[in-house]
Amino acid sequence: MTLYEDNKELYDSIPAEKFKRVERDEAIHDAKFQTKPICFLKDVWLRFTKNKASVCAAIVILIIAVLAIFGPGMNRFKYDEQYPDRVNMPPKIPAIANLNLGIFDGGYVLKNRQYDSISDTTKYPNDCIINVTNPQVVNGVRMVDVEVDYYKYLGISDDECYWFGSDYLGRDIWTRLWRGARMSLIIAVVSVACNVVIGLLYGSIAGYYGGTVDMILMRITEILNAFPRIVIVTLFVMVAGTGMFSIIMALIIKDWVPTARMIRSQFYRFKGSEYVLAARTLGVRDMALIFRHILPNSMGPIITSSMIAVPTAIFAESFLAYIGLGLQAPETSIGVMLSQGQKVLLHYPTQVVFPAIVISLLMISFNLFGNGLRDAFDPTLRGAE
Amino acid sequence: MAEREKILEIKNLCMEFPVKRREKLKALNNVTFDIYKGENFGLVGESGCGKTTLGRTIIRLYNPTSGEILFNGRSISGKLNKDTRKYVTDNIAMIFQDPISSLNPRMTIQEIIAEGLSIRGIKNKEEQRRMVVEILDKVGLLPEHAARYPHEFSGGQRQRIGIARALILNPSFIIADEPVSALDVSIQAQVIKLLLEMKKIMGLTILFIAHDLSVVKYFSDRIGVMCKGQLVELGDADEVYKNPLHPYTRALLSAIPEPDPIREKKKKRLYYDPQIHDYSKESPEFVEITPGHFVYGSPSEIEQYRIDLKEGINIFN
Ligand SMILES: Nc1ncnc2c1ncn2[C@@H]1O[C@H](COP(=O)(O)OP(=O)(O)OP(=O)(O)O)[C@@H](O)[C@H]1O
Ligand SMILES: [Mg+2]
Repeated sequence: MTLYEDNKELYDSIPAEKFKRVERDEAIHDAKFQTKPICFLKDVWLRFTKNKASVCAAIVILIIAVLAIFGPGMNRFKYDEQYPDRVNMPPKIPAIANLNLGIFDGGYVLKNRQYDSISDTTKYPNDCIINVTNPQVVNGVRMVDVEVDYYKYLGISDDECYWFGSDYLGRDIWTRLWRGARMSLIIAVVSVACNVVIGLLYGSIAGYYGGTVDMILMRITEILNAFPRIVIVTLFVMVAGTGMFSIIMALIIKDWVPTARMIRSQFYRFKGSEYVLAARTLGVRDMALIFRHILPNSMGPIITSSMIAVPTAIFAESFLAYIGLGLQAPETSIGVMLSQGQKVLLHYPTQVVFPAIVISLLMISFNLFGNGLRDAFDPTLRGAE
Repeated sequence: MAEREKILEIKNLCMEFPVKRREKLKALNNVTFDIYKGENFGLVGESGCGKTTLGRTIIRLYNPTSGEILFNGRSISGKLNKDTRKYVTDNIAMIFQDPISSLNPRMTIQEIIAEGLSIRGIKNKEEQRRMVVEILDKVGLLPEHAARYPHEFSGGQRQRIGIARALILNPSFIIADEPVSALDVSIQAQVIKLLLEMKKIMGLTILFIAHDLSVVKYFSDRIGVMCKGQLVELGDADEVYKNPLHPYTRALLSAIPEPDPIREKKKKRLYYDPQIHDYSKESPEFVEITPGHFVYGSPSEIEQYRIDLKEGINIFN
């Protein structure tokens, strides 16, 4: 029995005109969004500034970049000026030295001096003594370690200070450090830019067309990847001589391969996605599909990996400098300075500390900055957090 | 029936996907049917039976393994040259099944909807903007939504954006791939109404894909039932609904919930068991059993169906 069959007579007695079709007739209209639409770049900026770590990183990178540009001109030394009588000077910045903090005071420890001669002004002129430590008796003679202001000790006036000290040829480390940073950054940025461009084109073609094209292109990269870097660099140095060009080429020859692979895999990930198919049904051309649909969606990994590639390239350049294939004297780079500083690490640690700090800062900052950029360019994160 | 103009003719269409080395998955198997101009063709079948594949093969996202597709009498299967591809993209549009992944997350709604316009030579930004606002209004969205990104919308809104993207190009034929499956019931009705309205205004032909008959039966002129890459029954909506011949169609029909609770409770559910067909001796064919009503079966099964037809069918008891 059904409802209708049970009450057949009752139901059938109702005239058809009395029935009205129930239907939601009002047109569908959605409510306005509460939030305001903002233009893309402003949105990117807002999201970037929200990430404090990457803002700090950007500032650090900016400071290093500014110093790399103007640093070498900030004191009276030239990067290739040698002072054979002032080698391996400790760092001294007069303004900081006056604060008695124990840093940048030109302090240098003279080991095992006779205690009796401390007050001898011919030996220790201009009250250069900062500190006396480690008293001991050797063969009945009282010996001490004397920390002196090496500049006063040698009778050098305050306005001739080496802010970060000098190297084994008496060259100013401050000037050389920033000039080196400049060179390293140029090498890194140029090589990474080339790598990204090559990798982008290569990876896009391989990933988008797939099939045989992809297979041939990928085999080529595998062959390239099989060559050890040192062999390639050595060959380049043989042919083109040492110098910036060879180093940049050395950092390009096979380093675009990971970028290309990464972009290829991004293409594989997105080319079958529904929105790409949808665009295809609209008749969107290959180039527009690549540049408007697939690449913007793979921006994140591309940005982060190329940002990380910058300090990695600086590292690679340092490695070349270490094995003697880097920039040749008197030209300098962070890598050259590190390899020179490392030779005197135990006696004059400051010579390696400053370039090490700069390269570490660059490394961390580029990482954080890359992450921030990736998030900033991702509109799907809008309103997240 | 015969004098009606055919907009789409599909002949023996096969589509295979390579799965493993030398192994192939037959997603479409000898599909043959026509769609008439101005009609609303409903295609139903369980999940994974190849409905989406059929739609995508028609719009040529996939290259058919064999068979022929004629659109307005012009062949659009085989290798496409520039001209034919343009012909396909200009005339056929597709609404995608998944409203979330079918919109590019990096593009604003304006860019998404206007993309097809610039390809068709409408490059003027003002003109584009005007047309986008117009179509947004038609699908019930506001002009201010144009500057937003897809993730800011609900599923139903996104589905309507997908519809707007397809409609703005004035296609003559739309493949609507389960446009309502992802939506809740109240919005389902709205979206279907919207499609039907557009159809009336723009003189569209619609291939409406769904996975159950309940959505399709109310507004389709003809219904095709698909099972495992195969069209098993095809006919006028009323005819298929009244005289379902193939056991799979019957099973689908018995799955439609009844609004009457008592009847619903008493209803016998039919289950389809593909094992009942014995095709080892006789090979099955797609046969026109009464004018316009096709069913797939072996000669002896067809005989049985004819008897069923004469005796009248009541699948519910
Ligand atoms: N690109 C592909 N490569 C390999 N196999 C595929 C591909 N696309 C679909 N298939 C297979 O083809 C069959 C049919 O898939 P299809 O997407 O057409 O199903 P459907 O009828 O649309 O199902 P649903 O109702 O769930 O959307 C499935 O078995 C699926 O696994
Ligand atoms: Mg589907």
